[in-house]
Amino acid sequence: MPTMKVESIRKNLLSKIEAPAADLIAKEVRTKDKYMEILYISTISDEAIIHDKLLTPFFEMDNQQDFLTFLQSHPKSTPFKDEQKAVEDLLKGFVIIFYQNDIFTFDSKVNLAKDTSGTVVETTVQGPQSGFTENLHTNVGLIREKYPVPDLTIEQHSVGTLSKTDVMLLYDRRFADPDTVEEMRDFLKSVHIQMFQSGEQLLDSITKHNRSFFPTMLVTERPDRASVNLSTGKLIILVNGSPFAVIAPTVMKDFMSSMEDIYQTYWVGRFLQMLRYIGFNISVVLPGLYVATTAYNPEVFRVQLALSIAGSRTAVPYPAFIEVLIMLFMMELLTEASIRLPKAIGPTATTVGGLILGQAATEAGLVSNIMVIIVSFVAITNFVVPINTFSFTIRVLKYLIWALGTVFGLVGVVLGFLMINAYMVKLDSFGVPYLTLLQSKPKN
Amino acid sequence: MNRYFLYLVLINMFINAIIFVPSILIKYSFNGAVASVILSIPYGILMTYLYSKALTKFPEQGLPEILADSKHKLLSNLHMGFIQLAYFTAGLITLLGFLDILSRFVNPEEPRLFLLIIYLAAIFLVIGMPTERIMYFVEIILFFSVPFLGFIVFKAYTGEELSWDSILEVTTYTFEWPNLKAFAAATYVFSGYVNLIIFNRVIKGKLKIWNYLFVLFVGIFNLFTTFMIPIGYHGADGAKEYLFPWISTADSLRLVYSPIERVIFLFLMLYMGITLVSVSVHWHAALELLKGTFGKKATEKKKWLVIAAFIIISIFSVYQINTIRLNKITEYWMIVRLVVETIFVVSFYIWARRKTT
Repeated sequence: MPTMKVESIRKNLLSKIEAPAADLIAKEVRTKDKYMEILYISTISDEAIIHDKLLTPFFEMDNQQDFLTFLQSHPKSTPFKDEQKAVEDLLKGFVIIFYQNDIFTFDSKVNLAKDTSGTVVETTVQGPQSGFTENLHTNVGLIREKYPVPDLTIEQHSVGTLSKTDVMLLYDRRFADPDTVEEMRDFLKSVHIQMFQSGEQLLDSITKHNRSFFPTMLVTERPDRASVNLSTGKLIILVNGSPFAVIAPTVMKDFMSSMEDIYQTYWVGRFLQMLRYIGFNISVVLPGLYVATTAYNPEVFRVQLALSIAGSRTAVPYPAFIEVLIMLFMMELLTEASIRLPKAIGPTATTVGGLILGQAATEAGLVSNIMVIIVSFVAITNFVVPINTFSFTIRVLKYLIWALGTVFGLVGVVLGFLMINAYMVKLDSFGVPYLTLLQSKPKN
Repeated sequence: MNRYFLYLVLINMFINAIIFVPSILIKYSFNGAVASVILSIPYGILMTYLYSKALTKFPEQGLPEILADSKHKLLSNLHMGFIQLAYFTAGLITLLGFLDILSRFVNPEEPRLFLLIIYLAAIFLVIGMPTERIMYFVEIILFFSVPFLGFIVFKAYTGEELSWDSILEVTTYTFEWPNLKAFAAATYVFSGYVNLIIFNRVIKGKLKIWNYLFVLFVGIFNLFTTFMIPIGYHGADGAKEYLFPWISTADSLRLVYSPIERVIFLFLMLYMGITLVSVSVHWHAALELLKGTFGKKATEKKKWLVIAAFIIISIFSVYQINTIRLNKITEYWMIVRLVVETIFVVSFYIWARRKTT
């Protein structure tokens, strides 16, 4: 029987990690005359190691003393020093063994890197390149590995009336706002989807829920983004079978940030961020502005510029708004086509569409030269936004400004832009205003 | 940090710098406008001080909350009803004035009704928001506009065409007896503080002395810019020829190296946003006061009825009121406003003092 001291240490350790952590395993193992308790986190420990190197010898050795000697002399096991160290080891993937009057930590770290694949959607130049996998167990492990904090809470839920998909809700108990957590639990309960297979479905569901135009949850494939967001008090949702994690509450700032901002130097990061905001605004406003300035107020620009725009439009047989619409439509088709095509054919489509069609359309007098520049400008600035869901929103938004610019001219463009702003001010993501720039952590 | 208070004051100053105040002041520039402007500064600061002082007794409360437990239901409803009307008309004349500018300078061929429709759509998107969110929106608009406006004012002051002699000529009329209409117009510049009637909800903590100093200095600078810069550009007599002196002044400026050469378009694009928030702030206050009048009986349906009334009155007035009529109405409206505001502020101050002691 373990002594009181060992027992109290065991209780302390358990209370430090404390449920709800769905992946914490505390198990009593006993034979006729031996008794042992093991404590480990299943997602970051290799259970094969535990089985081969710990449990098998335990059951094969009859003598109590023999197993103690085994533990003492095993190169992977170290005697217990203090609770702090034990908790740290536990979060690194060690097993903690309570055997008779002794406590050992036993290295059973799993190598998660071999399961991960590289990032496909959110690529960066520097920094970690590994993405989530399709295995929920590994994904939780990846976050645990990057965020070894005892306060990380992991709750298990299941979503989907037919699929009963396992969903893990992760958050840091110290930073996450309890109201938001509660709201998220309710939301997960209220989701009515038959076959739940990917985090993006949540996104779809919440958009139907509050009819928002902008995404209020972020879907990411990067464990480093997930763990950085945990430290700012956000909630992470992992779905079994999907290599994407959902982050909420997310505001515009999160959609505009790339993990690269952290890995670059300060000023470079700031510069890149500013570039994205400028790109966002240009992409939304430019088509509408072109219509408003060519059709309504050419006198806005200085004479030379106004003349060169008008000059390049002389061959075009229809009004500016149709010209813009044709070109934007063509560009959308191109983008859409090159996404769906196999990787080998994709570049061909872009070359044929972008270069040849653009050139030919201008020479045939269907669109003006300046229009081609504007369309490519809009497309490129759109791609600057790092998160795809958000850049898709912008793709739609520019038609709103285009329509307002067509009907109301310059006033329509400015007010349309302001209306989008007002809408974003109105929107919130799980209680956080959408345009929050500085996220304040709730103080306990 | 009471930046929200400053925003309210600033929007009011910005909006009045272009629409009515300059033309009224310049009209009376030889008949006491200078003295009125000088007198309006202590008056404006005093009113700001009295009103915000009285409101510190009711932290983070708007007028509907303050009057909620009043025993004289009829009196308080009448009171709020009158103020609502004042707010609504304040927003309406700003809107009509700016639509007039837009249809003259930007979209001369477009029916005013079209311009009104797009403005109303934007305004109703904004005024339905909670009070705090409106302040966020105001902050964003000011964040975008103020640097550019500052640049334009800087260009105006440093322009070679600015004739300081004309400005000095007008200042020789300082000792003319002040004119009521000019005084009413000049004091309107300061009356952004009245929006605290609702927006006190989002103001945290007391107003510090530097808040008043800010109002004082920006007020002086704003009045000088509003009144004197058009005179400096168009001459003491020439400035009277224009319907919208400041817009014409912006049109006299030119950015030599910018793709947008004429300052007027930059200026008007910035003012589209400022007008939007200004009208929205006024109408939001009107809407919230109306909700306060209904008390617990305020429903979604009633809110839409009020908004429908707003729309119908706006459409009606856009058809009925032309520039000349609007300018005349505004002159008298300013005087009525001056009287009502003074009575309201002073009585509120006395009432608040008696209530708490």
